[in-house]
Amino acid sequence: MSPKKQNEEDPHVSDSDTDSTYEDSSAADDDDGDSFGSPSESESEPAAGDDSEPDEHGESDSSGLHQEESDSSEDEVAPRNTVGDVPLHWYDDEPHIGYDIKGKKIKKKDKLDKLGSFLANVDDSKNWRKVYDEYNDEEVELTKDEVKLVRRLLKNRAPHADFNPYPDYVDWFKWDGAKHPLSNAPEPKRRFIPSKWEAKKVVQYVRAIRKGLITFDKPKEEDGPYLLWEDDSGLTEKSNHLAYIPAPKQRLPGNEESYNPPLEYIPTQEEINSYQLMYEEDRPKFIPKRFTSMRSIPAYENAMKECFERCLDLYLCPRVRKKRLNIDPESLKPKLPSRKELKPYPTACYIEYKGHEDAVTSISVEPSGQWIASGSSDGTVRIWEVETGRCLRRWDVGEAVNCVAWNPLPDVHILAVSLGQDVLILNTHLGDDEEQKKIKELLSVDTSTPSDDSGNSATSVRWLQDDKHGAIKLKFFKTVTAVEWHRKGDYFSTVMPAGESRAVLIHHLSKKLTQKLPFKLHGLAVRSTFHPSRSIFFICTKQSVRVYDLLKRKLIKKLDTGLREASSIAVHPGGDNLIVGSKEGKLCWFDMDLSSKPYKTLKCHPKDINNVVYHRSYPLFASCSDDCNAYVFHGMVYSDLNQNPLIVPLEILRGHTSSDGRGILDCKFHPRQPWLFTAGADKLIKLYCH
Amino acid sequence: MVKAVKHYRPPGKKKEGNAAKFVTRSQALKQLQINLPLFRKLCILKGVTPREPKKKFKGTHQTYYHVKDVAFLHHEPLLEIHREIRVHERKIKKAEAKKNLERAKRLREKTPKPKIDRIIRQRYPRFVDALGELDDCLSMVHLFAALPAAESKKIDIECVHKCRRLAHEWQAFISRTHKLRKAFVSVKGIYYQAEVEGQKITWLTPHSLQQVVSDDVDVITMLNFLQLYEPLLGFVNFRLYHSINLKYPPILDPRLEALAADLYALSRYANANVNAVPSVVNSEASQVAESEQGDAKPKRDDIEHEKSELRLAQLQHQLPTNEPGALMQLVEEAASEEEVDQDTRECKNLFKDLKFFLSREFFLRLYLLRKLILQPSFGGIVSWEGEGAPFQESDQSITHQIVDRDSQGHKFLSREYVQPQWVFDSVNARIILPTVDYMVGRIPPPHLSPFIDYEEEGAYIPDYAKTIKQLQAAARKEVLPLPGVGKEDLEDPQNILVEGIMDRAEANQAAQRKQKMMMLEQQYHNDLKKELQGVTYGKMDSNVDKQTSTGEESTDNAQQKDDADDMGTLMMSRKKRKLLEAMKISNERKQAKNDLIKQRKKKIDEAHKKN
Repeated sequence: MSPKKQNEEDPHVSDSDTDSTYEDSSAADDDDGDSFGSPSESESEPAAGDDSEPDEHGESDSSGLHQEESDSSEDEVAPRNTVGDVPLHWYDDEPHIGYDIKGKKIKKKDKLDKLGSFLANVDDSKNWRKVYDEYNDEEVELTKDEVKLVRRLLKNRAPHADFNPYPDYVDWFKWDGAKHPLSNAPEPKRRFIPSKWEAKKVVQYVRAIRKGLITFDKPKEEDGPYLLWEDDSGLTEKSNHLAYIPAPKQRLPGNEESYNPPLEYIPTQEEINSYQLMYEEDRPKFIPKRFTSMRSIPAYENAMKECFERCLDLYLCPRVRKKRLNIDPESLKPKLPSRKELKPYPTACYIEYKGHEDAVTSISVEPSGQWIASGSSDGTVRIWEVETGRCLRRWDVGEAVNCVAWNPLPDVHILAVSLGQDVLILNTHLGDDEEQKKIKELLSVDTSTPSDDSGNSATSVRWLQDDKHGAIKLKFFKTVTAVEWHRKGDYFSTVMPAGESRAVLIHHLSKKLTQKLPFKLHGLAVRSTFHPSRSIFFICTKQSVRVYDLLKRKLIKKLDTGLREASSIAVHPGGDNLIVGSKEGKLCWFDMDLSSKPYKTLKCHPKDINNVVYHRSYPLFASCSDDCNAYVFHGMVYSDLNQNPLIVPLEILRGHTSSDGRGILDCKFHPRQPWLFTAGADKLIKLYCH
Repeated sequence: MVKAVKHYRPPGKKKEGNAAKFVTRSQALKQLQINLPLFRKLCILKGVTPREPKKKFKGTHQTYYHVKDVAFLHHEPLLEIHREIRVHERKIKKAEAKKNLERAKRLREKTPKPKIDRIIRQRYPRFVDALGELDDCLSMVHLFAALPAAESKKIDIECVHKCRRLAHEWQAFISRTHKLRKAFVSVKGIYYQAEVEGQKITWLTPHSLQQVVSDDVDVITMLNFLQLYEPLLGFVNFRLYHSINLKYPPILDPRLEALAADLYALSRYANANVNAVPSVVNSEASQVAESEQGDAKPKRDDIEHEKSELRLAQLQHQLPTNEPGALMQLVEEAASEEEVDQDTRECKNLFKDLKFFLSREFFLRLYLLRKLILQPSFGGIVSWEGEGAPFQESDQSITHQIVDRDSQGHKFLSREYVQPQWVFDSVNARIILPTVDYMVGRIPPPHLSPFIDYEEEGAYIPDYAKTIKQLQAAARKEVLPLPGVGKEDLEDPQNILVEGIMDRAEANQAAQRKQKMMMLEQQYHNDLKKELQGVTYGKMDSNVDKQTSTGEESTDNAQQKDDADDMGTLMMSRKKRKLLEAMKISNERKQAKNDLIKQRKKKIDEAHKKN
């Protein structure tokens, strides 16, 4: 077979023919049919050809793979595959791998099993050069040159070592014999004379520079530090601006911030765990840690953050000068006169009056100070002898007693008792016969009298004779909470909080008359009281105290207590001062000459104040409350108008026990001695003496 | 005439009260016609802070500024410069958009720069004012000197370098003039306290490790502050260097700088300059100086070797009899004669005659510097392992080697190997502490804060503070020996005195014991007397009863005391009562803290005893 003939049939192959021959020189001689050179050639040839002989291979770039195979096949004796560029797995199940040039099937060769091939490979030292060519189903052994080629290709270099990628440029044009230059034009004049336009431009620039229109960038001068504060000895704080407050310095670190603090500064694990339970803002920001050597201290992770927070403080926080008091807290307390100098005052409990079967709601002391009357919610009124604690008399009135009040006249031994919607005027049967006769006269009600009473209060109150107790009974239409006698003993006032316009009524005992107040009441009346020496009447409503002149029938004053709910009122025997107790436990002292606002407000009780009283002769006053304490104060009023009253807390009287959330319900001073009676919800009456 | 309604303000009339004096922040912005970031920057630079008006007329959630403060900002030339900068930035943007890079570059170079010096002068009219508020400035500059430069965080490499340089200059001055008073190694960094012109300046240097720039920090605000602090520290340093006759900024030896011994280079610079310019304050001194300098100069010329020169500079501290050294002494004294106070002298002589060597682990750049700041300022001589060191490890005259590792392989017998904490504790205590506890490989005794005042009532005093106090007392006595001590004892005064101190403490305890004994004895005698008088047991019993009754009385008394307290508070005004309550609470809190520490201490002690 002649290669020429093949070439003519396939014009594409013709050029590659020449270079494939050198492969053949090594391979074609041995006729044993295995063409080891050809696959590698097919890989390497396009690249090698491109590099080494560009001019020859210019057109053969497009030559396909199979053609080159066919090209090499013509040199080989062995049948070459001609299936073309089809997926080879099409022939997986066939006994042949393809067809040779004549159309005959090429049989698959027998394959060694894995073990066999492995054993064969082990023995063969050239095994690493062998490559399996799947297309032709044969094994190819690479020569040394080919391995070199592959290696160079892997390194991205030209495959042939002798190829020079940067050859010197060889000018294609031969200049030697040229007679004429490329351009024959003569050199222009402008090449020899200075440019007019340039000169103009220069002049323009020069002028601009002279005029100062163009300025040059001055060389940058470093504005380094200089002596800023040369001599500031004469300078003082400048005053034309607002006062400058320097930022407070940061707190200096204590032992706990040390890298190696004493062991006791380090919190235990339990404490650290307990921090987790705290609110985030309460949690300590810094937990002390201990490192045994300086080399083991790590970088502090919050360094930047803390610096930043300080910056924020510096420019975002308003600066205010605050006086930091570095004083003993005790020095804040006001200087009060010693309590010893203010004696006598009640200090300790001496007598207990036992006998009531329920809370004692009210007590009243007889003007001479020998007897004390008490009313209780067990429906009894009792009279006790003060000094012995003996119960002299008891009345079963059958209803819880709200208030008892002894007539202030020493020879009229009668008692006003309020129970429910009634008020009883009881004869106590004390005193000699003459006095008793008078009292009996006083307490007899002529049944005809109410009818010719003036119309203003006839419907609200009825005066009745109570034969059971030998007393007068006044029937009201609402519950009466308080009864208060006038100093002359002929009048008394009653308070019915729910009575609206008829809440406060004044009764004339000798005439058996009842009068409505000619004033409009503002708010819910709580207590009322008479002035100790003048015809002035005080009505305490929930939020204010109103002072009326009964003779002139007009309002004199309105006192703002500022309390939420007043509960009791007492007037100083002098008449110009009064105290108001409230249900929030506050005590207001009013100086009526001074102002309509409280002169002093004392927050002494945590619970409701039930009653407040003045002593008639000693400068004492007291308050009792549901917290089972009674406070005794020294309240000195001076006749000099310029001097404010002196108030000194003296004693806290304890001893009562709480029942049903109520403590001391009433307290009264002894008329002559500095003794205090207290009536508790624990069924006891106590006497505190000095 | 129309009667004016209370809250009505006629159109022409001015505002009154708080509404006239204060404006809210948004009003101020509107008035100044600037945006919020610029306003903040100006506030930072000018030191304008919000105010707290008595009546917040626009609500409590607003920030208020004083009208005068806003006017103060309004007249500020910086405002104009920042407007120019904004205009300039627009030009640059335009040039860049037109691809006119040349112009953009030129414009960028020509961007006006705000000058801070006038503002600094305005804020701190006197130098002392500036020193008084230097704390934050120093802490911040030291922090930035330790930060990694990060493009994304807008921290410039130049800025970091500048901060580092300024910090070193400051440190050099402090150590040069022996101004350092206290140093404290905390977890957060190392605190230093120096006293300059009567102002106590405390600053924090972070540990020389990688600092993290966290995201929850607004770096721009910090950079605004730095814009003020950098020049401020520059001016302060200038003034300080000026005061000790040195040129500022100092020119440093580039070789040493490269060797990470900036501070050492600085101190050398200072030494050399002082030598070269002999003072003329004192004519006698100057004459001596000139004659001596003549001697010294050829000597210096001879010494070509760099290392030996370095060493000489260091040695000048140590050898007052040496010729250049003597000169130094003269100059130094002349320069700082008026301000040498007791403290400075004490600090200067603390480590006198001691020679230190720092082991290799201190060659960490900043660590070394920090060590250095301690040593020269307290009069010792220091060397370290590495290039440019004044003397080698093998030098026999080294007295202390400072080591921070588990164990030291090769040991010289002539020196003591101590942990770095020893230096700090000695400086704070102002005495040379015994090195036994600080030996290499041991856990050192607790490092206590020098900033705590233990004199304060109720303060908890750690054990080690007590021992230090005893040692201090011993050292003080060293100067004034006891009259009763014999001559043979005087030979070893230190030992004797330490013993003496211990005796004193013991004596106190003994006295207390004695008192107790006396009391018991008295009681016993009384009993005896009674027996002699023939008092029956029954009466004795009654006596006992009385005692018990007194016990009851005491409870009564307690009740009464409580009552008395209540009475006192009853009569107080509400304001005072609240104040009293607040004081009580804070006192209790303090007490609780101390109690907790004491409790822990007790537990630890018990655990120790068990073991």
